[in-house]
Amino acid sequence: MSELVQVYLPMFLVFAVGAAIVAVFWLGGHYLGPKNPNPEKLQPYECGNDSDGARGVRMSVKFYLTAILFVVFDIEAVFIYPWAVLFKGLGWTGFLTMLAFIAALLVALAYCWKKGALEWES
Amino acid sequence: MNLLFGLSPFLAVGVGALLLMLAEAFGKPNVAPGVETTDAGAGRAGELALGAAVILVIGAVLSVAVWVAGPESLPELTQVAPHLVIDKFTLFFSFTLCVGGALAALLAGGYLPEHGIDRSEFFPLLLLSTVGAMALSAAGDLLTLFVALETMSLGVYSLIGLRRGSPRAAEAALKYFLLGSFAAAIMLFGLALLYGATGHTDLAGIGAAVRSIGSPGSTVSAGKILISLVLVLVGLAFKVSAVPFHQWTPDAYEGAPTPAATYMAVAVKSAAFAVLLRVLLVGFGDERLASWGAGWPPALAVLAVLSMTVANLVAGRQESVKRMLAYSSIAHAGYALVGVVAAMRSPEAVSAVAFYLLAYTVSTAGAFGALILCGSRGAEAVSYEDLAGVGKRHPAAALAFSLFLFSLAGLPPTAGFFGKLYVFRTAIDSGLYTLAILGLVNSVIGAYYYLRVMVYLYMREPAPGAPRAVTMRSGFVATALVAAAIFVLLLGMAPGFTLDMASGAALTAR
Amino acid sequence: MSAFGHVLEHYVLVATLIFGIGCVGFLVRRNVLVQLMSIELMLNAVNLALVAYDREQGAGSTGQTFAFFVIAVAAAEVAVGLAIILAFYRLRGTVDGDVADTLRH
Repeated sequence: MSELVQVYLPMFLVFAVGAAIVAVFWLGGHYLGPKNPNPEKLQPYECGNDSDGARGVRMSVKFYLTAILFVVFDIEAVFIYPWAVLFKGLGWTGFLTMLAFIAALLVALAYCWKKGALEWES
Repeated sequence: MNLLFGLSPFLAVGVGALLLMLAEAFGKPNVAPGVETTDAGAGRAGELALGAAVILVIGAVLSVAVWVAGPESLPELTQVAPHLVIDKFTLFFSFTLCVGGALAALLAGGYLPEHGIDRSEFFPLLLLSTVGAMALSAAGDLLTLFVALETMSLGVYSLIGLRRGSPRAAEAALKYFLLGSFAAAIMLFGLALLYGATGHTDLAGIGAAVRSIGSPGSTVSAGKILISLVLVLVGLAFKVSAVPFHQWTPDAYEGAPTPAATYMAVAVKSAAFAVLLRVLLVGFGDERLASWGAGWPPALAVLAVLSMTVANLVAGRQESVKRMLAYSSIAHAGYALVGVVAAMRSPEAVSAVAFYLLAYTVSTAGAFGALILCGSRGAEAVSYEDLAGVGKRHPAAALAFSLFLFSLAGLPPTAGFFGKLYVFRTAIDSGLYTLAILGLVNSVIGAYYYLRVMVYLYMREPAPGAPRAVTMRSGFVATALVAAAIFVLLLGMAPGFTLDMASGAALTAR
Repeated sequence: MSAFGHVLEHYVLVATLIFGIGCVGFLVRRNVLVQLMSIELMLNAVNLALVAYDREQGAGSTGQTFAFFVIAVAAAEVAVGLAIILAFYRLRGTVDGDVADTLRH
């Protein structure tokens, strides 16, 4: 049991401190702050136009394509970092293997480019 | 050099897929003058289909070449083991997969332009998916198994959804994607558990660890092994579409473009059976788990009986021929599962399943191809009524259709007959009399709905005034049908050579 | 058993719980986007289990490598999945999975 406490105590301390800080600020603001509500103040915006339309903003589908392409290519770094760390030990085989991997990625990139997936306008 | 030669079937299809991708993106669109398009692949389905088919045929030929040279005489191949295990089993399946993929590519070369689906991405996706399927049949390691399975599946999800603007296609792709990924995740948890229990990710090491259970000093937990076996079986049963994990199959086949459905029916199923056999025999091949009393054989036997019976009963009630073929593919998964169960006792059963899947691949691809041939632009042949009178209007198409249906029903002198014969014979040799008899009874029931198509082809006339499907003309589809027909007859009349090859493909279980 | 041994059970327990949450989420929710997120949750639960098991095995880093590959595959899966969901949404104007029922009729 003591071993468990040793392992998890720091983690629970972080949780507890985090929760305590949030609680202090939130409850403190709630109970200590002065409250004088009036209709003006209860509006979502105190100045400017009344809000109108649905909640949330519709994102253009362009963001989706770019974001997904970024994620797919970005994830490949997961393989390149360990390779870079072990580079010396892997020798020529490792180098050529990674070259083939990057060549395949380049083909994919060229494909995206030619298909117009990287064009922002239109 | 020997290493490159041993891997050449995989390299040919893999590098070919990348080259075809570039060719698809960088070629000149082939459209009527005055039509503006930004899609470089527009109007080039024909040449890309030809390219894809050629690459896959090269893959098939190289598989045979390496088979003849003998993978055991290429010691360099141990460098890629256990991630890729190149043995005769792998090569037989990679041949089957390349043939299935090539037939699907040829069918697409006729089907896509005819039905105005101008999506030339079909062909690179098909090739990439086939690479995944081939790697799956070679996977001797849990890591390759998962990556290959997903490579194959992601390609197929996209193939189904290619027909943009069709709600049915989008729906079919969505259903298959969600259920397929769910099943893959469940299987992955099983794989992780297996790794945790044994400390190995290679199937041979897992097999050794599983055998050590019960011996003094073994820390392998039998409970964890059993749970992971169940999870892996669920995932693979989904991929081979065995009842009760089959609900997605008819929907996905119906919504997909017919060549994509063909590919799913032949390649995905064959690759999944290959990996199922390898995982069960190498990973779980120990005396206790591979016995009738406990372990996987009784569970698979239940799946086999359910698949055959349920699919056959439901297939007869379908109005759409495409859905009927989907249920037929589920029933065939059941027959092949009978062979997998028999593999617990006899190594010949592995060869029987391998031969069965090759026969099933050419027959099913042919049947789907004949169905494609019976429809034309704007009017795909879907229902039985659409096929009425095709025997008079287009005797060649009807003849080809009949041949493939004969083979699916398991009648001589076709490939399907010998496929069923060998599977059921190994089942009897292994003492599984009930399974073999149930399989035979089901084959007879199955013949009913295959013959029903022929009744419509030859003995019915279209109702007066009913819109009749006009048969299409396409060199691609015709080539695919002729090739498939040659295979069906060759395997049916002279199965000896292929059987010899298949018997070399036996996995050594213990 | 290594010093990590006792703690391993906890990691696996948490992984199993997260996997279960993903499983239930997939089966209960009808919003296909949430279903996709549930699948991702399941894959990440497996990653946690893989890394924990890897730590327990000590030698080699097979489990960590496996987790890397799972991450990459999950990214590709999301890319394909979102594209399919987008195509579905454009045609049907909803991401409710119950609307996907035209194929049975």
